[in-house]
Amino acid sequence: MTAMTPEAPDVLAATDGRPTATREARQRRNGALASPRQRNSKVAASLILVVIGVAFVIPLGWIVLAAFDSAATVSVKLPTSVTLNNFTEIMNWETTFRPLWNSLIISMGTAIITVLCSVLAAYPLSRYQMRWRKPFMYTVLFGTCLPITAMMVPVYALFVAFGLLDNLGGTVLFLAATALPMAIWMTKNFMDSIPVALEEAAWVDGASAMTALWRIVVPLMRPGIAVVFIFVFTQAWGNFFVPFVLLFSETSQPAAVAIFGFFGTYGTISYGRLAAFSILYSVPVLALYLLVQRLSGSSFAMAGAVKG
Amino acid sequence: MATLALPGRDHRDPGRSPGSRRVVQSLLRTSPLIPAVVLLLLFLAGPIVYSLYGSLTNASLTGPKAAQPDFVGFDNYAQLIDNPQFWKSLVLTLVFVIASALIGQNLLGMALALLMKAAHGPMRAVVSTIVVVSWVLPEIVAAFALYAFFASDGTLNIMLGWFGVEGSAWLIVLPMLAVILANVWRGTAFSMMVYSAALNDVPPEITEAAQIDGASGWQRFSRITVPMIRRSISTNLMLTTLQTLGVFTLIWVMTGGGPGVESSTLPVLAYQEAFKFSQVGYGTAIATVTLVLGGLFAIVYIKALKPEVD
Amino acid sequence: MRTTARLVTSAAALALVLTACSGGSEDSGGGDGGSGDQTIKVAYQKTDAFFQLDELLVKSKAEFEEANPGWTVQLEPIAAQETDYFTKLALMNGSPDTAPDVIYEDTFQVRPDAAAGFLAPMDDYLAEWEDWAQFPEGIRAAGLGDDGSTYGVSMGTDTRGVYYNKEIFAQAGLPEDWQPETWDDLLEAARTVKAEVPDVIPMNVYASKAQGEGTSMQGFEMLLYGTDDTLYDADAGKWIVGSQGFEDTLTFLQTLQDEELMPGLEDALDTNLPNRVSTELLPEGRLAIAVDGSWMPGGWMSGDNAWPEWEETMGMTAMPTQNGQEPGATSMSGGWLLSIGANADDPEMAFNFIANTLNEENSFKFATENSQIAARDDVAANPDYVSFNPSFEFFSSLVPVTNFRPATPDYAQISNNIQVAAESVITGQATPEQAAETYDQAITRVVGDENVSEAS
Repeated sequence: MTAMTPEAPDVLAATDGRPTATREARQRRNGALASPRQRNSKVAASLILVVIGVAFVIPLGWIVLAAFDSAATVSVKLPTSVTLNNFTEIMNWETTFRPLWNSLIISMGTAIITVLCSVLAAYPLSRYQMRWRKPFMYTVLFGTCLPITAMMVPVYALFVAFGLLDNLGGTVLFLAATALPMAIWMTKNFMDSIPVALEEAAWVDGASAMTALWRIVVPLMRPGIAVVFIFVFTQAWGNFFVPFVLLFSETSQPAAVAIFGFFGTYGTISYGRLAAFSILYSVPVLALYLLVQRLSGSSFAMAGAVKG
Repeated sequence: MATLALPGRDHRDPGRSPGSRRVVQSLLRTSPLIPAVVLLLLFLAGPIVYSLYGSLTNASLTGPKAAQPDFVGFDNYAQLIDNPQFWKSLVLTLVFVIASALIGQNLLGMALALLMKAAHGPMRAVVSTIVVVSWVLPEIVAAFALYAFFASDGTLNIMLGWFGVEGSAWLIVLPMLAVILANVWRGTAFSMMVYSAALNDVPPEITEAAQIDGASGWQRFSRITVPMIRRSISTNLMLTTLQTLGVFTLIWVMTGGGPGVESSTLPVLAYQEAFKFSQVGYGTAIATVTLVLGGLFAIVYIKALKPEVD
Repeated sequence: MRTTARLVTSAAALALVLTACSGGSEDSGGGDGGSGDQTIKVAYQKTDAFFQLDELLVKSKAEFEEANPGWTVQLEPIAAQETDYFTKLALMNGSPDTAPDVIYEDTFQVRPDAAAGFLAPMDDYLAEWEDWAQFPEGIRAAGLGDDGSTYGVSMGTDTRGVYYNKEIFAQAGLPEDWQPETWDDLLEAARTVKAEVPDVIPMNVYASKAQGEGTSMQGFEMLLYGTDDTLYDADAGKWIVGSQGFEDTLTFLQTLQDEELMPGLEDALDTNLPNRVSTELLPEGRLAIAVDGSWMPGGWMSGDNAWPEWEETMGMTAMPTQNGQEPGATSMSGGWLLSIGANADDPEMAFNFIANTLNEENSFKFATENSQIAARDDVAANPDYVSFNPSFEFFSSLVPVTNFRPATPDYAQISNNIQVAAESVITGQATPEQAAETYDQAITRVVGDENVSEAS
């Protein structure tokens, strides 16, 4: 069941404000109840799942097969001859490593800024009673809903006005701002689940609110922060439209844009290389996803411990 | 910024200090919000304001209007209203959102979550991983994968060929269906995860009790489970709706919005008008409409759901 | 307490610092007063089928940097198809910080870009450039802006004609020396190919938005300028609406589509089609007839997609007029230029780089390798140039019948509407009549009622 507890349920569970504590216990109980009739329905369910799983895996299959095919086309087929050439041909700074490096800078920068800002912002929202807290949170929620990254036309015009075009820093700040509403929302919910009692002890010792935040609250909610970080990182890593419109020079283009150049410029000749690049580009976020699965396990554990 | 260096001692004692100190104190308490608020104002409110303003000009990407755009009032909107292409695009956008998010992702996500609960463990792990991988993949990679799937020499037609069915150029003949299925493929994992988590929160005792009382599977689901996870359902509906409203890359790569304008949703149309046809003001007006649409969805959601913000 | 201040201020300041840092390092000009590290940024297109310009600029960069110590030429190849190249270029030009110093411009973009203030006038530098005398009047005109100043130096020009694969023609029983005289002759040949050699695409005429200006120029206008009508009445300064020629052109495209004489829609709507025509469809013998540009053999003579057999395989013939009316054949000419960005820190040095890139030796290199109709008289007269490529003679022979696109700042938007009309017809979304009507309405909206006139 661990495969079923990636980031989103945590996010949503946290959004609902009621973290799940006793899930594992329940699962154990579920597993124990298996009458013959249930066993039949279990087989049926598994079969249907297999069918759906196959439907989902086929489009992915093309990428993997084409990457190792010396004569890949747009069709899925077993490679006529298996080769690593598609990979070795693109293993150079200009084609692959620089775009990946740029993606890393953009995603790291976005995730760091977003997490810093949202932890800071979440603290007063979580800890103090303020008259405008409710409207503020509603505004944040509203902001979460707006399709800002789909409206690159005015964003482009704004960047012209700011003089931030073709500027990695500007792109990072924009991506951070678009990720912030969701991140604040998530972080605040994680923070809400940490009892104030621990900080109050620190206050008595004379620590300031900020000291309490960084010394006590942040360490306690580290798994939650990691979930937010990875959530933001993954989104920035995968974003195509934003850097496509805001970044021009080859030297600052991230992988998402570089891959598009592949497709448009080299014609049908290099489906194999396109697929190989896709794999290299996708592996980091897939790895992060595995990481988040482990983290969310521990975040539940934490929530459980706190609730006692 | 200097004042921020002086958080008073009473800071840690909420709500007790009197008079003007209280103002200072509340300002101090608010200060950690500053970085976030600055960012949000510049890069989130900024584009919104710019979108409203830019849509009232005839700014262009090149030509004299690029140097000196004129203020044209609501001309762009008048043009939009006159333009059948815009209305078509609006309808396509709604079709895309309703079919792929509200129906496709949600129903399939729920079905998967239920099946996961019922199925064998290893199967569950394998299938859920596959489904989630298609969600975690960078969107452009997903778009290429689905382009290759639906292309006329693509995987789908080859498989149809095994069954003796002659394929078609799906991206040309049924472009909307292709991008809708593609978005279902890409987005279902999110709904599946949300619903799986929600279903796990339903205490088994309740459904078990209903079962003993003779309630059928469907009755248990519709009368007990659904009401209990109502909040997760509406939250999820909203998030998938808005996520889908903003989809650009998937459509742009798979069909380019074509043939003609057969799959041009509003984000694609805005890009086309502004950056391909140089009419930035007109394109901005389309972006503004998209924004308003998103805002309407958001308001409906917030009103209906009344999320607890405390 | 100090921690508080530090954390809050640093997070807030981080935003500004980030902006400031990267702002500086990405600055295009780099000419911050110091003479040691000045940069000229050059923006141009590069694809696997169009690599010759890249090679030329790499060569010129080395020469220029050698001759001008302390100067760096920063090449910014934009790896994109033509329509995406135009978009990217326009986006870069949108802001002075990112605008290139030297720009590879299509002729039809010169006027709008000059009017937009993206380009710097070159008259002062040209007056002192002795090579300028080698550029004939007609060629010079390509760089003129609305204000009469010159905004670009031509790299060469081109014509367009009909390529056909002689091997396929032989299989279909069509003549090796094919000379179509009317549109019907084109259609007849295509039908014959379809009947006799069914695996082959009979004919390609670009007709979708995906190929952008290629659709307007290699496709639609090659047909339209062979009718009795035209796009623009230059004397009256009015765009023409409601012309029979416009509708007939669309009907021709519809016929190609209805009788399946052109690539299937999936290919016809592919951004990459121009590349694929030259690197795959023609060399692999999968396409019989192609209406295309004179530059195509450039990619066959060298590079990744070299195809030495092209000389024996490909035939070339002039594009016939609709019913064989005078002058019996037609063609379109365009071409590309090098221009100076309006925000170049040192326009004179930018010009010097252009002058070096287009000196006799380099112009010769580019004209031969990229199959250009040479812009410079000295190159055109060079016997090595004429004998370099057997197609030169044919494509130069089209110059007397060739046409130019209307030189107006709003041509680009008209052209977009041509592409929309063509695509709506081949995808069956509109009849030629409906598409022509939509076009009329759209261009009237673009240029205003006072700037259109009914065809007589």
